[in-house]
Amino acid sequence: MDIKALIDKIFEKGRASGLEDMEVYYSAGTSLTLKVFQKELETYNLSEGEGLSLRGVYRGKMGYSYTEKADESSIDRLVKDVIENATIIDSDDEEVIFEGSKEYKKVDSFNPSLSEVREEEKIEFVKKLEEEAFNLDDRIVSVQSCVYGDGSGETIMSNTKGLYLRDKSNIAYTYISVVAKEGEDIKTGLAYRTGNDFNKFYAKEIAREAVEEALALLGASPVKSGDYKVIIRNSAAADLLEAFTGIFSAEAVQKNLSLLKGKLNEKIASSVFTLVDDPYMEGGLASRSFDGEGVACKYKKVIDKGVLKTYLHNLKTAKKDGVETTGNAGKDSYKSSIGISPSNFYVEKGERNLNDMIADTDKGILITELQGLHSGLNSISGDFSLAALGFLIEEGKISRPVDQITVAGNYFEMLKNIEEIGSDLKFGLPGAAYIGSPSLKIKKLSIAGE
Amino acid sequence: MLNKSLIEDTLAAALSTGGDFAEIFVEDRTNNGIVMIGGKVESTMSGRDYGIGIRIFKGFNSVYAYTNKFDKDTLIDTAKKAAKALTGKNPNIIIDLTKTDVKNINPVKIDPSKVEKTKKVQVMKRAYDTAFNYDELITQVTISYTDFTQNIMVANSEGLWKEDTRVRSRLGISSVASKNGEMQSGFLGPGASRGYEFFEDLDIDYYAREASRIALTMINARYSPGGRMPVIIDKGFGGVIFHEACGHGLEATSVAKGLSVFAGKIGQQIASPLVTAIDDGSMPNQWGSYTIDDEGTQSRRNVLIEKGILKGYLVDKLNGRRMNMDVTGSSRRQSYRFPPTSRMSNTYIDKGSSTPEEIIANTERGLYAKHMGGGSVNPSTGEFNFAVMEGYLIENGKIKEPVRGATLIGKGTEVLNKIDMVGNNLDQGQGMCGSVSGSIPANVGQPMIRVSELTVGGREGGL
Repeated sequence: MDIKALIDKIFEKGRASGLEDMEVYYSAGTSLTLKVFQKELETYNLSEGEGLSLRGVYRGKMGYSYTEKADESSIDRLVKDVIENATIIDSDDEEVIFEGSKEYKKVDSFNPSLSEVREEEKIEFVKKLEEEAFNLDDRIVSVQSCVYGDGSGETIMSNTKGLYLRDKSNIAYTYISVVAKEGEDIKTGLAYRTGNDFNKFYAKEIAREAVEEALALLGASPVKSGDYKVIIRNSAAADLLEAFTGIFSAEAVQKNLSLLKGKLNEKIASSVFTLVDDPYMEGGLASRSFDGEGVACKYKKVIDKGVLKTYLHNLKTAKKDGVETTGNAGKDSYKSSIGISPSNFYVEKGERNLNDMIADTDKGILITELQGLHSGLNSISGDFSLAALGFLIEEGKISRPVDQITVAGNYFEMLKNIEEIGSDLKFGLPGAAYIGSPSLKIKKLSIAGE
Repeated sequence: MLNKSLIEDTLAAALSTGGDFAEIFVEDRTNNGIVMIGGKVESTMSGRDYGIGIRIFKGFNSVYAYTNKFDKDTLIDTAKKAAKALTGKNPNIIIDLTKTDVKNINPVKIDPSKVEKTKKVQVMKRAYDTAFNYDELITQVTISYTDFTQNIMVANSEGLWKEDTRVRSRLGISSVASKNGEMQSGFLGPGASRGYEFFEDLDIDYYAREASRIALTMINARYSPGGRMPVIIDKGFGGVIFHEACGHGLEATSVAKGLSVFAGKIGQQIASPLVTAIDDGSMPNQWGSYTIDDEGTQSRRNVLIEKGILKGYLVDKLNGRRMNMDVTGSSRRQSYRFPPTSRMSNTYIDKGSSTPEEIIANTERGLYAKHMGGGSVNPSTGEFNFAVMEGYLIENGKIKEPVRGATLIGKGTEVLNKIDMVGNNLDQGQGMCGSVSGSIPANVGQPMIRVSELTVGGREGGL
């Protein structure tokens, strides 16, 4: 049975069971993962998966259910679960099915040329990636992981208010993690690329980045504990922003789980700091024309020159605040209910590059990697205390690598203490959102080491 | 879940290009999740995960493919597509499956799918009320309820054919305390491989009060000092230190390729003689327990370290080939979407002889980590980090004022040798462990231990 006919049947059964408005979210995708270890194609993974979820209003409340068995035999259970789940909802917030925006801007996130790349080319590429890493330096003793993967997917959103939206996208990624050893000292380095143009993956360049990262850290040692001026390099700053993304959610604000409550139009960050959510960004890997509720997405500045301009809203939170939705309803997959998520979410870049920023730092720490981001920070309090790797800066120059330190502070305070923003905007690995930052120079953070 | 001839045909198709081992994993899983914020049910989700994974080995190389479709054509086609990644002759392995019955080590008394959701909400409401009413400074409480029933079948070209059912239940309580424009939170998440009876037997009020007590203690705490100092880590979830500092480095996933700092060290002293560490997936009804692993091997108790000497690794089938070692019943995965690999189950440092009072009294200055958050590790360098959710300073052998925002970092090889006191009060804690084969339930455990010196990340000057 084709998917459209299946959706009609679900709606039919739902109506007969007493459901009011309903919506089906369907996604299907294929993926390929290749891993090389010691010149052999060690892992070859193929997938073909699909899933479907139903949400529907029953006596004024929204219920959800999903299945990965997307056929007629699942309909009864989907409907029954939606009704049962709606029945126990007692939130006062009203969640609605959306009839559709007037206009949807086209987003091109499917590159047909990617599906034409032959498998042999991909295998050759990932083998070359490992080989290049070993060729670059004798101190590279092993390659932890050397991976190429790609996938394509299709999403359909269809509801009883007449909305029918389709979205198609594909993506490729590659990463390599190398191990460098000198004496007893072991360091690792990682490099990755993402995008949907295979021709932009250059094995040698990626391998070099990972190798240089690992080699530069050899011989690292801690620094003395104390307060330091800190430059958080672009990728680490993006990781930190990602971990704190939840504070911008109107849902968190309304539920008293964000310290940004009551701070709209107030200065919450340094004047050099502007934070953008741009669903139409060129090359953005979270580009989208509609959000998880089918609302047309739009560009917005969340923080403009330090001033908080808006929270990220979906229909439910917008209604509660008496504002218009920002088109940030999040739905990671058919398994999730409607939440809030940014799209291409980034700190606007400044004017000078990282080297210039280092050059006028008398004494400080350059942080290149932050670890334990899922545990060493508290997005509610803003406190973070994270294991870090990086370099000591003395008299405007990098003097030596640093490890076994932690960097601690409070994110809300840190936003106010940003002195300069670099020109080197870089994005992290894409997930539900695609999050980027240039390097950030912070007046003061606590470093614990020796 | 699938009939014998279909499994045999699929395995044969998987081996048609020279593979020397093939395996099918079938999963049919029901999930139920409910989230309550501010005492009201905000969202609910029920769903069914349903898929089949086919894995083929040839020597050290592996191929994996999955699909959501269970019909014969799709299965044979998927097996053939996967087999195309290998090149060789059909080995003509004769597959003759014999179904083995499995006696479940995690008996379930009340099937959660038979329990009305309104009853589940009552459990949550109770936790909410207790946590929220604990103190005026508690401003928000989020309760999450989860139960799932995972039915699996695994069959392979060596003739193994088994089915298993895993039922798990968990309650998450997150309390937030607010004061003077600041917020602090406390979290506890008890769970077990049990049915709805887990919630009936659970001391809900105790966990709810604890979560709020942690948040309240931390809102009144100053920031932790940073630097190197002795650290006492309390029983239960404190075992996350062993999990991160050492456990991941003992998984064949990193040992087989020589990537772990513990590779090639069997029989060597790698820890203080006070340390005996065990991974035991066969403890009845524990959160990280299972009757058979995801390759169909019976779970068992594996001694990893005995009195400081490395005794063994956690080994799955594929890495076992590279290591020339037998499997240890440790091969796990989040779902059919992941090929399985060696992972921890219930991992703990065994009890020692010191009383908790002795350990504290014998510590002049240091940090006492009463409740731990999560952490992570790089197995190649052994560098780990994890967060202290509730910490205190120790002065002159006494627990003094609470401190917030501490993180512990170090290298696994070093910290294991610096454990200089081990308590007699072994306990377990529950968590989710994320790694190459996805996110899986795992227990971490230990009695109270003392590490003579660790780097504490904090915001104030040294002790």
